[in-house]
Amino acid sequence: MLEVKNVQKSFGANHVLRGVDLKVEKGDIIVILGPSGSGKTTLLRCLNFLERADQGTMDFDEIHTDLKTASKSTVNQVRKKTAFVFQNYSLFQNKTALENVMEGLVIARKVPKKEAEIIAKKTLDKVGLSERYDYYPSQLSGGQQQRVGIARAIAVNPDVLLFDEPTSALDPELVGEVLNVMKNLAREGATMIVVTHEMTFAQQVASRVIFMDGGVVVEEGSPREIFTRPKEERTSQFLHRVLRDDYEYNI
Amino acid sequence: MRPFHPAYILEVLPQLIPYLLVTAEMVIGTVFFGSLFGLLLAAAKIRKRKVGAALANLYIYLTRCVPSIVLLFIVYYGLPEFLLWFGININDASKGFFVITTFSILFSANMAEGFRSAYEAIDKGQREAAVSIGLTEFQAFRRIVLPQCIRVVIPNFTNSLISLMKEGSLAYTIGLIDIMGKGQLIIGQNQGSYSLEVYLALFLLYWALTILVEKGFGALELQLSRGRNGQVYTEVRKCS
Amino acid sequence: MQLDTAFMWTTFLDVLHGIPTTLKLTIITLLLSSPIGFFMALSKSSGWGIARRIITVYVSFIRGTPVVLQILFLYSLLPTTLNYIIRNVLGLSFNIFRTDPIIYAYIVFTLNTTAVLSEVFRSALSTVPAGQLEAALSIGLNARQAYVRIILPQALTAALPNLCNASVNLLKSTSLAFMMTVKDVTAIAKIDASFGYNYLEAYLVIFFVYILLCSLVQLLFHLLEHALSSYKNTAAQRHEKNAASAYRRHMASAR
Repeated sequence: MLEVKNVQKSFGANHVLRGVDLKVEKGDIIVILGPSGSGKTTLLRCLNFLERADQGTMDFDEIHTDLKTASKSTVNQVRKKTAFVFQNYSLFQNKTALENVMEGLVIARKVPKKEAEIIAKKTLDKVGLSERYDYYPSQLSGGQQQRVGIARAIAVNPDVLLFDEPTSALDPELVGEVLNVMKNLAREGATMIVVTHEMTFAQQVASRVIFMDGGVVVEEGSPREIFTRPKEERTSQFLHRVLRDDYEYNI
Repeated sequence: MRPFHPAYILEVLPQLIPYLLVTAEMVIGTVFFGSLFGLLLAAAKIRKRKVGAALANLYIYLTRCVPSIVLLFIVYYGLPEFLLWFGININDASKGFFVITTFSILFSANMAEGFRSAYEAIDKGQREAAVSIGLTEFQAFRRIVLPQCIRVVIPNFTNSLISLMKEGSLAYTIGLIDIMGKGQLIIGQNQGSYSLEVYLALFLLYWALTILVEKGFGALELQLSRGRNGQVYTEVRKCS
Repeated sequence: MQLDTAFMWTTFLDVLHGIPTTLKLTIITLLLSSPIGFFMALSKSSGWGIARRIITVYVSFIRGTPVVLQILFLYSLLPTTLNYIIRNVLGLSFNIFRTDPIIYAYIVFTLNTTAVLSEVFRSALSTVPAGQLEAALSIGLNARQAYVRIILPQALTAALPNLCNASVNLLKSTSLAFMMTVKDVTAIAKIDASFGYNYLEAYLVIFFVYILLCSLVQLLFHLLEHALSSYKNTAAQRHEKNAASAYRRHMASAR
């Protein structure tokens, strides 16, 4: 359904992506792991054109485009088929939870207001925020804000959901509520690409795990393959380090 | 001790009030042209193209250094000659033209800083989130970024507006008949007596105008602050 | 457009004689109004009912009305009133009309600047977290010591940018002192210009002079800021260094 090839991106002298390929089928839950600075967030942002890649191609259903030279209308088309969940939520500060969710429906997709409101309310109910329609972001906890962020993303019924470390800005006790929402989405068959450090989530939910380091995909496979028999030295080192930290953290 | 007739203050006020219209015209004209030019300056600074940003910064620096009255006279005596150089004759232009030009120069520099800092105060993620759900760049700016900018820029705008109203009173020195100019005329007609009473009446008018502007924009800011610091604001309201 | 450059040069030399007056007006006004403004700020924040209300009205009035109006008002009120007080109340035979009019300028500008500075100091005081005072008191400092040793240095550093603004604005306002027949930079240029109607040239000259003076004020404050905020700088530099090394480590591990 979505395939990118040879994605390259530099920031100045810093070569962040060095030719990444990624293929996503409908219903896939792809979790991208890797140390910070490995380029996983940049890859995700390139998929939504929040970052312009220096090189690479994209085939997304009927859209076939070059990542570097994609026209404004192509970018808009891609953005309408995808949705992005941000690490720091990025809720519209001047709009209520409900208005945040309605914005993409009413303005970008010209859904009539009445109808949009019904959809938005239903979506907020789904993430467990039926009591918070009229709250402004500043009046919500981090976990609630991120759930609004997810509602805003799924309300537009995207083909692919992109999650950029959705829980890493949250206090530990609030991580669970957001992960639960994501698990429910996975169960319903949503197509998701998730950049995260939540290993348990990757093990339980992912259909495929991709390990990135130094701007390339080092290894990919099922969670079982990656977590129990990693083929690459770099992968096992990373997993060792992270899982040990997790283990110590749990004590 | 000079004689003092408080009753004359009430007598002179109705004579001054019609000239508030001239003051208002001056202020509105300046706010319009000054804000437009201020936006251009801010854009030059934000874009960070070397030459444009340097020019904008130089303009702002110089403008900050010049006393209003000095600039007013430079514009009043210099602009006609300068434009005559290009074959444009504005010797018959009204006093208001020179006043609005002068204060637009000052106002634009004030607002340029305000616009820029407001723009930079808005998290980059707001635009990204807007385009990520399919809004166009223009929609993202119009619906998400701009409303938040306006809220942030209000305190700065209020300050600039108040200082414009006050500095604008210097316009009488080139002969503009606003409330200040009319006051001076009245004093002149009375050969200098009653000056204290006229000045007190003017004090009252300017003070009232300032308070009005402050309260008005304060209320507007509160109104637009829905959503940001929601709890904080309600608490403040409870205290006062 | 033809500028009389010879006239501009002689005017420039004349105007230089006005610089001491302009600086004197600025500096003495600042010295007079800073302590008063500071105590106004303190008594406003410590909340002494009536004093607080009076200060609020005073500040609102001064900030709500044009300086030029304040000058005109006080200059037509003060000389005759002072004269009356000296002759009829104090019974002295001192002629107030012969004193240097700069006295009136000091009074007007001090009244004005005090109001501005009290707001500057108030907001600066509010930037110092309440915990600072509590911490100072908790280790046994008394209130005065806590203010002098802990709160004030921090508040002053926070106040510097606004103090700089206020000083620049004051310097610019002193250009109105000619209305009280004080011979400052602007007054001298005006007199020179009136002989041959060379107003444009004269005002361009003092535009230049004011740029020099303003730059001087800003430079002084810049140096002061540098000296006073040393405790902040070291913290910031340390932080920056840490961040830089963290970044290097991070880049190294990414490779």
